[in-house]
Amino acid sequence: MSNHAAQLIAAGLCFGPGVIGAGAGLGILIGHAIDSIARQPEMQNDIRTLMFIGIGIVEALALYAIVFGLILLYVVK
Amino acid sequence: MKNWWRGLSRRTKVFVYLGAFLLVCIGTFFIPHGKKENFQAANEFILTPIIKLPKIGPVDLSINKAVLYLWGVVVIIVAASFYINRKLLHSDKEEPGRLQIILEGLYDLARNSISNSVMRVGADTWFPYVSAAFTFVLLLNFLGLIPLPVGEHGQLAFYAASGNLYVTITLAACTFFLSHYAGVKAKGGLGYVKGWMVKGAPPVMRQFIFGTHVLSEMFRLVSLSVRLFANMLAGHMLLAVLFAMTLLFQSYFFAGVFSVGSVVIYLFEVFVAAIQAFIFAILSAVYIGGAIEEEH
Repeated sequence: MSNHAAQLIAAGLCFGPGVIGAGAGLGILIGHAIDSIARQPEMQNDIRTLMFIGIGIVEALALYAIVFGLILLYVVK
Repeated sequence: MKNWWRGLSRRTKVFVYLGAFLLVCIGTFFIPHGKKENFQAANEFILTPIIKLPKIGPVDLSINKAVLYLWGVVVIIVAASFYINRKLLHSDKEEPGRLQIILEGLYDLARNSISNSVMRVGADTWFPYVSAAFTFVLLLNFLGLIPLPVGEHGQLAFYAASGNLYVTITLAACTFFLSHYAGVKAKGGLGYVKGWMVKGAPPVMRQFIFGTHVLSEMFRLVSLSVRLFANMLAGHMLLAVLFAMTLLFQSYFFAGVFSVGSVVIYLFEVFVAAIQAFIFAILSAVYIGGAIEEEH
């Protein structure tokens, strides 16, 4: 297998399964946030703030996978 | 001028907006076009020095477009501060105008949602840094979504200065060093390091917890910088690819589809820009507050 083909396959394998966990995590997080807002609508603003903090932290993990894939594509010769 | 604009009916205003939009669309036919090149998505992030200055050790002092964007944000903040000061100080209206409402909303967001809700102890001392980080990252992200003439041959292009790892790692290093400085100032050097150990744990576990805590503190620098960098980088590359796909397929149908899709993704990018600034500020507040507060 040529070097370029191996590089492309590695980048693809890094992008794809890298964001599965983040997708599942974000779904669980936002689902629980919606549940708790439905339970206590007066706490909406606090719950929404905490939800956004959680979203930022979980999405960063997916972005580590993407950045590593980009490094594999463009930086590695 | 303002009274003339207010005197128009809503229908006239809609026609004026549509006319301006059509003028811009037609005007884009007259912009001098560049030469035909292969499309590379990462071309936006290549930095070439505009004014070459000498290197001091490993640090290259040349001015490139990232430096110009950073200076531009500082100029915008300073100029806007003077303008807002003059406008709000000398207004004698009964009820607050639009500018005041927007600014009070932003201040309320920075003060109550970020500082007071997360930091228990040092909220008043550290509010200036947290709100400065919030404003700086917010304006840097928004400036990356406005097309400015920074393209290769002077054409209009998007460029996100926070899509550069050097910029974000500098901002994250500010938070990192300030959090350790705040902890050492509040608890003393040895007391701060002792705060990383959990008291009631068996001997081997205590060292392990301490080691894990040190590692997680070091990792905060990486995560804070890479989160902002990767969000902006991925967003702008996605925008570049979508804008190019509009023309790449050489078909009117795909051009229409991708035009609409590009606008939707652009609006999502605006949302992501605001969210990332908010998250950077609130995580800075969490780290600084966590370093100051007493044992739980």
